[in-house]
Amino acid sequence: MKTIEDIPDRQLLLFKSCMVGQEYPGVETSTRYVFDRLGVDYCINDEQSCCTGIGHYTDIFEGLTTTAIAARNFAVAKRCGYPNITCLCSTCYAINKEACEVLNTNTEIREKVNSIFREQGLEDLVYEKDDMNVRTNFYHAVEILLSKANKIQEQKKFDFSGVKVAAHHACHYYKVKYLDVLGNPENPQLIDTIAAACGADMVRWYEDRTLTCGMGFSQLHLNKNTSLQVTKKKLDSLQKAGVELMIHMCPNCHIQYDRYQPVIEKEFGVKYDMVHMNIAQFVALSMGADPYKVCGFQTHSVPLEGFLEKYCQ
Amino acid sequence: MNAALDKTAVFICHCSGNISEHIDINYLKKTLQAEGVPVFDYEYLCSREGQTLIKNKISEGNLDRIVIGSCTPSKHGTLFKKCIQEAGLNRAMLEIANLREHCAWVHPDKAEATEKAISLLRGKLRRLENIEPLEEIKVDIAPQALVIGGGIAGITAAVNLADNGISTYLVEKDSSIGGNMAKIGKVFSPDKLAEECAMCSLSPLMNEVVVNPKITLLTWTEVDRLSGSAGNFTVRLRKKPRYVQDKCTGCGRCSHVCPVLVENEFNCGHMDKKAISLRFSQSVPKTYCIDPDHCLQLNGETCGKCAEACKSGAIDFSQKEEIIDLNVGAIIVATGFDEYDASQKPQYGYGIFKNVMTQMELARMLGINGPTKGTLLKPSDFSMACEAIRSSTGTCGNKNSSDNPSDNSNGTGTPKRIVMIQCVGSRDEKEGGNRYCSRYCCMAALKHSSLILKKYPDTEITICYIDLRALGFYENYYRAVQDMGVNFVRGRPAEIVEKPDKSLVVRIEDTLDQRIKEIPADLVVLSAAMIPSRGTRKIASVLNLSQDESGFLKERHSKLKPVDSSLDGIFVCGTAQSPKDVTDTISQAGLAAVRGRAFIADSPKALVNEIPTIDQLLCTQCKECLKCPFDAFSLKENGKIVVDPLVCTGCGYCTELCQNGAIQIASFMKTQLKAEIEGILKEGDLLGFVNSGIASLTCDNIGNSVLSYPSNVKLIKVPTNLVVDKDLLLHAFKCGASSVLFIEDPPDSPKAEVIYPLTVSHFEKLKKEMGDSGSRLYFKKAYVPNTKGLAGTFTSLAREGEMIK
Repeated sequence: MKTIEDIPDRQLLLFKSCMVGQEYPGVETSTRYVFDRLGVDYCINDEQSCCTGIGHYTDIFEGLTTTAIAARNFAVAKRCGYPNITCLCSTCYAINKEACEVLNTNTEIREKVNSIFREQGLEDLVYEKDDMNVRTNFYHAVEILLSKANKIQEQKKFDFSGVKVAAHHACHYYKVKYLDVLGNPENPQLIDTIAAACGADMVRWYEDRTLTCGMGFSQLHLNKNTSLQVTKKKLDSLQKAGVELMIHMCPNCHIQYDRYQPVIEKEFGVKYDMVHMNIAQFVALSMGADPYKVCGFQTHSVPLEGFLEKYCQ
Repeated sequence: MNAALDKTAVFICHCSGNISEHIDINYLKKTLQAEGVPVFDYEYLCSREGQTLIKNKISEGNLDRIVIGSCTPSKHGTLFKKCIQEAGLNRAMLEIANLREHCAWVHPDKAEATEKAISLLRGKLRRLENIEPLEEIKVDIAPQALVIGGGIAGITAAVNLADNGISTYLVEKDSSIGGNMAKIGKVFSPDKLAEECAMCSLSPLMNEVVVNPKITLLTWTEVDRLSGSAGNFTVRLRKKPRYVQDKCTGCGRCSHVCPVLVENEFNCGHMDKKAISLRFSQSVPKTYCIDPDHCLQLNGETCGKCAEACKSGAIDFSQKEEIIDLNVGAIIVATGFDEYDASQKPQYGYGIFKNVMTQMELARMLGINGPTKGTLLKPSDFSMACEAIRSSTGTCGNKNSSDNPSDNSNGTGTPKRIVMIQCVGSRDEKEGGNRYCSRYCCMAALKHSSLILKKYPDTEITICYIDLRALGFYENYYRAVQDMGVNFVRGRPAEIVEKPDKSLVVRIEDTLDQRIKEIPADLVVLSAAMIPSRGTRKIASVLNLSQDESGFLKERHSKLKPVDSSLDGIFVCGTAQSPKDVTDTISQAGLAAVRGRAFIADSPKALVNEIPTIDQLLCTQCKECLKCPFDAFSLKENGKIVVDPLVCTGCGYCTELCQNGAIQIASFMKTQLKAEIEGILKEGDLLGFVNSGIASLTCDNIGNSVLSYPSNVKLIKVPTNLVVDKDLLLHAFKCGASSVLFIEDPPDSPKAEVIYPLTVSHFEKLKKEMGDSGSRLYFKKAYVPNTKGLAGTFTSLAREGEMIK
């Protein structure tokens, strides 16, 4: 079990995410904005590649390829002296953590991956057992924010008191490696604690709080109706609880809520009153970041203008 | 032969061939006799006849020192010591050479085994040259006992102690004894299908506590500090002021006039108690108690209504806290459990949804002295319905009403559909849960279901379970409840949803048919885990007792010593030790009382006398020995250092601390160890110093496991390796040791947890001090089952030795 004291703020490789990069680049710029102001030592390395997670979960990449690519990214992280892989996306987090465990514990697969590297003349990528530690080399950016919650509270420019906010914690953070998360995985409080530090009025419990966002990777494309019904169930519960702002920590959830809320409204003939944000965007906003140049709200499908007018004047 | 040994004889036991088939006893006899030592042998020395032989030879030959060659001293050592004592010798005048486990059973070559046997006997003979008689150390044990915690465990233990003639103090932190059992209306019984009235069983016992002249009851009192040692504990108690004197008659007029309503912890937090009250109407002692946080008078306001109402003048606002020091010989800890905080599972909505409660809260509600006088109600309708009941039965708490509360129910507020969820916080590996099974909850759920169905037959009850654990005769009860029509769904619910009308829906996968179910409910009852009470956690730190990973007090041995705590003279019972039901608690409390009584009855206590002896001539009062991790040493007013034999574990750390060589361990004096080394060692031998605890057992077990090792492995028993110093090591190497191995107890007991790290650093220090020979010094941790590993170490080190030779 992780403890907050174990969370580092040095030598973090801010692991770029394909979903963040192409759908909500504001999440990355917001994270960097906040990290810069909190004195976090991080780097972004252009040599890093996609974790393959989205492809892996839609059955395009099989396990060996995903593991080999992870080993390559680990080499990149170690080589640049920033071995603490810190993910913006909970799928990157789960994929990297899982791949590291496989590489450390499964000699056959490790040898296979290394033999591919050697055949291709990529000796510098060869992974030795325990090069990375499953427990101490992998973090989600939210964990870093949580460890700095006091500093965030000190530096906040806007106070969001009175805004009814609900959190949705990512299943690929809380459910994949549930024995190695911060706090009680049945009662996740990461987003709640950080948002409360920004003054938000958190909804402690709402129906279906533990339910997935509904994306389910390939499910969104192959069983779209089921996928959207799950999302609708969740949005209905939020609406019932009077939630104005929904905060998440994973670009997949972000897409599912923000891109598909208008779709659900249209297809099911309903209307929702809530807007969506990543926790890094929310923290950046409360610390005074520009809603468009930093937070990138112009890329959202559910417009935030009303919310911003109401609370950020 | 040394002149000191002219009245010494050796006795060899054949052990019915166990020894005589592997060792040439005739050769052995001839060899030793040629050296002038009389040797006798017998088929079974441990038999009556064998002991008679020893005694006769002692009186015939006027012998004063004896060596016995037999099985391990841990088997018959006590017997043989008793034997020579009966013949008039001091216990210290006997040495036992282990010819079976350390010789006959581990060395297949007869000639080699015989050679080693002779060397072992020589070692013991040399040791006897320097022996001094050891006086027995005896201490008187305080003839009183203290029981901490006045629940069913503590009450049972106190009554049993008193019945056995032991003066007993029973200390309870609340204003009445009774504990959790008093809160439960009915208890389940293993042999009947009926539920028994808890108070009807408990009340006579509580009264027994008051009338028994051997029991002193101290309620509203907490344990602050413990000092002294086993058999002579000094316990400091803090008795809080009740502001009501003992002359209180319990009439209840004060409570009737008191204007302040307070939260009633006994009724699980309902606001149905006055600031002056009894804990519950059958409280023992029946003396009212004022809540100092809420009483107006005590908080600077003018009230004093209770004092006006009291006809016996018992109210006394000037009472002060009292400090009481007790001297007791034994302590029984019975500090009980708390219910797990179910709000740690927010998916079940405890503390969020009104109609979710715990089994304990349900037990209170079903109790006729509970907040609803036994009427089953939905908490969402509670205040309304409860008002109705309260106005019909007068004031809360103390006035007995003849109204039958169950008649009141016209259906409003009565839950029709009840779902119980098992294992909330038990059998749960996630953070915030507990891995263990709480043992009582399956039966509590069955009992409450049965009670409810008897009174409200139309209720639909569903129990969601993982496994139903109705052990032993409880199976009959389980079957009877099944026959009553309770539904059982196997699965752990995912979530509870509250509907706008405050009714609930329990979402669960029925793992038997693998379907998701949504079970509607008016009331959900969570069977929350048993966790160690705050009192249990506190007392563990006050008394310095070992706890398990969940915080329960750890027993010495789960099978053989289930009520002995990690400290001598302190015993533990009930749910402070582990989760259990009332039946098991009572049996365990009885055992704790017996163990406590046995400890006290063993007065004066003969202590192990292999403890430090202090040469006052060499002692400079440098106080280094006061660093003893067990605090066994103290500096007396006369400037002398003394050791407390009750506290001393005999580990020998003090011999290392003392720079002046003033401290040695009796029976393990440097001269004795040197003599034994000289006696047993030959060129190229591996010398093992064996901790006399677990390590010694492990060495013996190599023999029991039919394993073997080379006969040039020679073992000497020491209290721990802390008594071995550089001088002894140099002597061992001079006498031919190729290498020296320290065999230590693993840090598996509270005592060994302290000693083990000391032995490790002692070893490392010696290794450094020994310079080049340091590389011939080895350390091994011995676990009883790992005989193979230890025999392997012996073999490989002994072979190295042979190569050097």
